[in-house]
Amino acid sequence: MEQAPRDPERQLQPAPLEPLGHPDAGLQSAVGEEAEGARDESPGEGTMTENNFWLKKIEISVSEAEKRTGRNAMNMQETYTAYLIETRSVEHTDGQSVLTDSLWRRYSEFELLRNYLLVYYPHIVVPPLPEKRAEFVWHKLSADNMDPDFVERRRIGLENFLLRVASHPILCRDKIFYLFLTQEGNWKETVNETGFQLKADSRLKALNATFRVKNPDKRFTELKHYSDELQSVISHLLRVRARVADRLYGVYKVHGNYGRVFSEWSAIEKEMGDGLQSAGHHMDVYASSIDDILEDEEHYADQLKEYLFYAEALTVRTFSLKGMTTKLFGQETPEQREARIKVLEEQINEGEQQLKSKNLEGREFVKNAWADIERFKEQKNHDLKEALISYAVMQISMCKKGIQVWTNAKECFSKM
Amino acid sequence: MSGGPPKGLPSTGPHSLLDMPHPLAGSSSEEAVGGDSTPSPDLLMARSFGDKDLILPNGGTPAGTSSPASSSSLLNRLQLDDDIDGETRDLFVTVDDPKKHVCTMETYITYRITTKSTRVEFDLPEYSVRRRYQDFDWLRSKLEESQPTHLIPPLPEKFVVKGVVDRFSEEFVETRRKALDKFLKRITDHPVLSFNEHFNVFLTAKDLNAYKKQGMALLTRVGESVKHVTGGYKLRSRPLEFAAIGDYLDTFALKLGTIDRIAQRIIKEEIEYLVELREYGPVYSTWSALEGELAEPLEGVSACIGNCSTALEELTDDMTEDFLPVLREYILYSDSMKSVLKKRDQVQAEYEAKLEAVALRKEDRPKVPADVEKCQDRMECFNADLKADMERWQNNKRQDFRQLLMGMADKNIQYYEKCLTAWESIIPLLQEKQEAK
Repeated sequence: MEQAPRDPERQLQPAPLEPLGHPDAGLQSAVGEEAEGARDESPGEGTMTENNFWLKKIEISVSEAEKRTGRNAMNMQETYTAYLIETRSVEHTDGQSVLTDSLWRRYSEFELLRNYLLVYYPHIVVPPLPEKRAEFVWHKLSADNMDPDFVERRRIGLENFLLRVASHPILCRDKIFYLFLTQEGNWKETVNETGFQLKADSRLKALNATFRVKNPDKRFTELKHYSDELQSVISHLLRVRARVADRLYGVYKVHGNYGRVFSEWSAIEKEMGDGLQSAGHHMDVYASSIDDILEDEEHYADQLKEYLFYAEALTVRTFSLKGMTTKLFGQETPEQREARIKVLEEQINEGEQQLKSKNLEGREFVKNAWADIERFKEQKNHDLKEALISYAVMQISMCKKGIQVWTNAKECFSKM
Repeated sequence: MSGGPPKGLPSTGPHSLLDMPHPLAGSSSEEAVGGDSTPSPDLLMARSFGDKDLILPNGGTPAGTSSPASSSSLLNRLQLDDDIDGETRDLFVTVDDPKKHVCTMETYITYRITTKSTRVEFDLPEYSVRRRYQDFDWLRSKLEESQPTHLIPPLPEKFVVKGVVDRFSEEFVETRRKALDKFLKRITDHPVLSFNEHFNVFLTAKDLNAYKKQGMALLTRVGESVKHVTGGYKLRSRPLEFAAIGDYLDTFALKLGTIDRIAQRIIKEEIEYLVELREYGPVYSTWSALEGELAEPLEGVSACIGNCSTALEELTDDMTEDFLPVLREYILYSDSMKSVLKKRDQVQAEYEAKLEAVALRKEDRPKVPADVEKCQDRMECFNADLKADMERWQNNKRQDFRQLLMGMADKNIQYYEKCLTAWESIIPLLQEKQEAK
């Protein structure tokens, strides 16, 4: 599978009739006819769209964020942020881009899209969304979801998510993804009609089953181990980094006091006065420079966070059955839940049997899953290296600014 | 004891009493003495001459006459302290080589004092003695006693809170050594103080304790006379000039106090930042152990952060050892200067009171009595000395702070340069294409 480069221009092909049926065909058949129903889509659309977009390059951007108020499911007023997604097709010949689609989506719709992708592509490492709530904040940053800086960083994160999906050789062809970008109204209904929620639990359980069989593929066990460790280490890193940022902020800001006291002192001095006064000004510059520096560093933290979330997605956890079902099935009575669980358990057992028998579909699944993991690893190594380089560049810039300011101050002192 | 009656010396001042306006007539007295902050050279010479005569035990110049030997030393005294070419300096003092002494009763540190001088007041061209802090403390008290009209430099703080500061730690001892060195150098640079008898003994005597026991015997006349001015005389108003100095010192001390607090706060924040960095760096190492291709880059980042941490530690150590003590020294300095100002006020108050008393007696006296003349003399000398010392102090202060603040800027520049080098050196490592895994 070819690795598409991560840039705004890429080929976007709408989904074929079914979400890449054959890798999980084995599971599908085990799970039952529910799967079949979801795969029925109007044949016309697929072929039509298939034809038009093969040669065109698409640019996707999440260009704006807007506060909205509305009523939620419980008819209570709520405030939320909506994001404008713009899709442009770039004409091959003259390179100009034409706006083809533009619609507004909120975070929960992105979540819905992602949950759908998780279910339909269990063998794919699905890109994560930016965090729902601000975590790993250091004190100056607000943990408020409505805070403009947070909203801005989330906008970038959502754009990044869409670009990652669009650049994935398999995910980019998904019909629901295509509709997410193009069909504003009714999209939610369309997604729900796929009935993916019903499959969610069973598919994840089935995947989980691969780890519970007698001789699981060692690579997956190692991968799980790796992703657990990665999660842990990145969380730790982000926590400490936030504390480091806090302390650094303090160091710079206290220097601002020099500005004021040098100014006051210069008032009683004759020859020393000018030098002190101008040095004080440089101390003020120094103190205020930290805001931009730390703002830049947040981008680095966001890059790390993305891979933290990736690691979380990689880790196939043993969800508690209860937790899983409540999430996907919503409110229902314990009896209903029990009944459904029973059905699923049977389906899982069947699935396990299928895998145990090592049929072709099972091996296919594993092969494709592993191929995507390899793709992911390459992507991760590349991205994290880039992130480290940009972090080093940020540090270099900070050092140079520091040298500049203190050199200026030194010169003022020399004139005292 | 050497030293004739002050009357015989030019030390009564260059102006006759008749030229002197009545002190109650206004604040013009300082103008008569020398309104600007620079004392006239002959005044300075006169003062130094008088002092010199009084304090030296080893047969200095006889009273009232100038001799070739003394005029050359006078010339030396007339030099400004910030004379860069060392040719004109004839006295060099250094404090170094701290050593710990453990005795049954106590443990203490001594410092080696090396003196090199061509001055006649020194029998040998070179001396090397050992002194401890309490010897410096003794010297300072003696200087204050014997030269009350002069500004005596401060000593580093006497008491240290046991348990908080380790008074035998290398850093503490080194900080103290530098301060003691500065103390002696300031005295060395002073045209009057450097000729003080006690100072000479401090630099040269093998057994200082024996000398100390002699105690009161060597008090100078000036010292004695000023010492006997007790409180009870209230000054109506401080002359503008000295009031200005007083105000300046008040504000100056205040600002320095603020700077001291800010500097301490910065160091505290930097140390807390350092603590976090020391946890931050190793996490990259831990991560590196999980990775393949990313292992080297991550390890590189970890090492880099480690280097920055070390650089930061050096910065905070330097600031603690070199910056804070000098600030505190100057705060102590301005405190002692304020008390000298108060003493000056006392002298003036006594003079004014006595003059007033004479005026009220309504006697037809053509001349003011001797003791009033003496008071006036004392006041004028005090004013002159103080102004000269203030001028000197202002110059030195400017140099010292220029150096101190440039030093602070330098240390910060060096810190950032070290960090810059560290980060720049890992860029190639990060960009390196890893071989096929």
